[in-house]
Amino acid sequence: MTRVVVSGLGVVSPYGVGAKTFWTGLATGECAIRPLTVIDTEGFRSRIGAEVPADVLPALGASRRRSRADRIALAAAREALAEAGLGTADRSRMALLVGAVGGGMLEGEEWYCEETRTGRPSPRIRALRSILPVSHAETLGSRLRLGGSRETVVMACASGAASIALGADLIRSGATPLALAGGVDAVTRICFMGFNALKLLDPEPCRPFDRGRRGMSIGEAAAFLVLEDAEHCRARGARVLGELLGAGMTTDAHHVTAPHPEGEGMIRAMSDALTAAGLSPGDIGYVNAHGTGTPQNDRVEALALVRIFGEGGVLVSSTKSLIGHTMAAAGSVEAAATLLALQHGLAPPTANLRDPDPEVPFDCVPGAARPVELGAALSNSFGFGGQNVSLVFGR
Amino acid sequence: MTQKEIVDELKALIVERLKFDPRRAAEMTAETTLPKGVEGSLGLDSLDFIELSVAMEERFGIVIDESDSLTDEFLSLDSLSRYVLSKVR
Amino acid sequence: MNGRRRVVVTGMGSVSAAGSGGSAAVASALARREPTIAPIKAFSPDGSSSRLAAEVDDALLMDLLDAADVRRLSRICRMAVAACRLAAADARLEGGARLGLAVGSEYGDFRSGAEFFNGFLRRGPTGLSPMIFPNTVMNSMAAVAAIAVGARAPSVTLNQATVAGDLAVARGAALIADGRADAVIAGGVDEIFVDVYRGLAALGALSPMGGGGPEGCRPYAVDHNGTVLGEGATFLVLEDLPTARARGATIHAEVLGSAWGGIPVAPHTAPAARRDAGRTVRRALVQARTEPASLGRCYGSGNGDPALDDWEIELLAADGIRTPESLAPLFGQHGGLGALRAAAGALSAEAGDGVSLVHGIARGGCRTAVVMGRAT
Repeated sequence: MTRVVVSGLGVVSPYGVGAKTFWTGLATGECAIRPLTVIDTEGFRSRIGAEVPADVLPALGASRRRSRADRIALAAAREALAEAGLGTADRSRMALLVGAVGGGMLEGEEWYCEETRTGRPSPRIRALRSILPVSHAETLGSRLRLGGSRETVVMACASGAASIALGADLIRSGATPLALAGGVDAVTRICFMGFNALKLLDPEPCRPFDRGRRGMSIGEAAAFLVLEDAEHCRARGARVLGELLGAGMTTDAHHVTAPHPEGEGMIRAMSDALTAAGLSPGDIGYVNAHGTGTPQNDRVEALALVRIFGEGGVLVSSTKSLIGHTMAAAGSVEAAATLLALQHGLAPPTANLRDPDPEVPFDCVPGAARPVELGAALSNSFGFGGQNVSLVFGR
Repeated sequence: MTQKEIVDELKALIVERLKFDPRRAAEMTAETTLPKGVEGSLGLDSLDFIELSVAMEERFGIVIDESDSLTDEFLSLDSLSRYVLSKVR
Repeated sequence: MNGRRRVVVTGMGSVSAAGSGGSAAVASALARREPTIAPIKAFSPDGSSSRLAAEVDDALLMDLLDAADVRRLSRICRMAVAACRLAAADARLEGGARLGLAVGSEYGDFRSGAEFFNGFLRRGPTGLSPMIFPNTVMNSMAAVAAIAVGARAPSVTLNQATVAGDLAVARGAALIADGRADAVIAGGVDEIFVDVYRGLAALGALSPMGGGGPEGCRPYAVDHNGTVLGEGATFLVLEDLPTARARGATIHAEVLGSAWGGIPVAPHTAPAARRDAGRTVRRALVQARTEPASLGRCYGSGNGDPALDDWEIELLAADGIRTPESLAPLFGQHGGLGALRAAAGALSAEAGDGVSLVHGIARGGCRTAVVMGRAT
């Protein structure tokens, strides 16, 4: 049976550029959630988020005329491809799967606001050419000369994880030996305003699994994995960063914003992922939770984790406590965190966790990263609207 | 504002913001129950209640503390209008 | 398909300018001669260089739905729900943990995005409607359709220009072949929203594309001068063959082969000289054990956009396939059109017209190929 390994990893995060910078931030437990600067937040209850640092953008080497999201996606994709050491021939067969939601909406909003304010046509209208989620795949595919299949997967907060699951499926089915799979989202006004309007954002940095948690913090990032047929990777002597052992994908079909109250879809996603990986819950040493910090998500996710692992049965932490909820990128950025945790034998911490919620009967690694022997780890992404993905990684 | 006036304003919000048919609004009385799961109610769920809260804050100039559990207040147009009345005074 | 699960078509549902219904309605829509493209009724096209569209009748759409049920749903979500329900009913299919969804869309719910954002522009933060926000994410159509039909296997939304429906059908078939679902309701949806229509017309993306010549949809014709927008939702029910047989489902056709690929060209371009090194069509035909010469019908995604039409003809000629037929004049260009093509392919195979190729190519290079034949 075809095994799928990871031979490249690229990340642009609120810590800066590169997977190394990303891991340093996670390992030191630095919370990157601060007052937002990319958009005007006047008049809103929650005014913070985790942004890619301002000095990072100009150094990315992508034209300033591209959307912010395109620029960070290109940088992350380039890093992943460089690490995997793939030549032209391999790239010409490489599938591309991009998890995206906001697309170039940030720049589209700037055009719309200007036209509405001035009542005159604005030259910013060129932003419309890259406003849709599909624009990233078109940019990456053409700039990186990727000649395999292309998909832009829109699955809310699970987009980045779904891309990885579907990319692995392409490899397992023999459609391609290589896939560049990941996700990207930049800060947008519509996302910021929407989650504020739904009162799902904490005015302070989010506190996943804390008894006093009050909501999410938004973030932005891009992360891409090079997924590869293990045999193909071995044959070309490339380094393996880890293995994607299995993936589960389910839908709650319950409510447009609320998860199934007993976490039915979450349980099935984790269970299916474990079955696909040929593992039992006891084989998992660490869970990178969806962990948004909303009262509801964390409570239901905890219920689901208890059903799979038993109370206290596994270490759990939330990367969103450190870099916020990076929306379409979350699934792939957190997959990267999970892979790096496995590599380093270190579970990243949950930041801002001062008073653990007794309804979450797990050690959620408060404050400081925890050394732990890891053979396999699981990453959860549970999208708005009940679309769930669980990924199991091994060393 | 009188309680009756508030009930009428709430009906208008239910049509405008929750996209109910105006004819349905005409049939509503103070006794009309709101939450899903209650026999014969309008069938409002959590998303409807968030929308209605935001609309009420704007229309009546009140502040609804989201940490307040308002299950009883949101039971009917009668209980909701009393709640608004208490906030407006 | 090398020991992989076989995928068949057991039903379909459609809402379009040509009407609505299950497989019988789709078959009669495909057979119609009168065009659905007409002067726009939903808004005034004054000031716009384009004035035609293939619009869905709103009264007809609401007839398909329970008003109380869909109270909060945006128009595009209503179309998706209506068509998915029609498809599930047509296939006599129940919901469950093994039923998935694959939804393709070009533009998603711009209407809700604009409505939500305008609330802020007019009245600041207090003008924002929390209820509208969930609709602004492109997977909202899949989320509400999944609730409507009880689909609890993966529900995947794919954003793609021109061939969104084709891509969803191909990915839907793969979800079954890969074992992630036993049935998938797969297809596409788009609606015409005034701001998007006007914007596209202003950018010269619609017939007459800033030139002379009459406005209209004339794919592959010498005087083609752009496409005409349509709207609607069309979904096929794809199913694992043994599961379909076990429950006595009507089997219209089999997906004999399915492939999708990308030709690396600059975004929004359609350079006629560029070839498909990934040989998308060849891969699909090999799976289907069919040669180009033995194909019955061939449906193409060419929609009157001259560069796209020309590129498609070149690409297919390189594959040894003649100029295809387009359904764009019948239904207008929209996300559901690719699924209508796949439906046409399935119905023509069922009717004994032989194996059909459903081909798609978009500006920017996304290419799809689905081969439909009789299920044996």
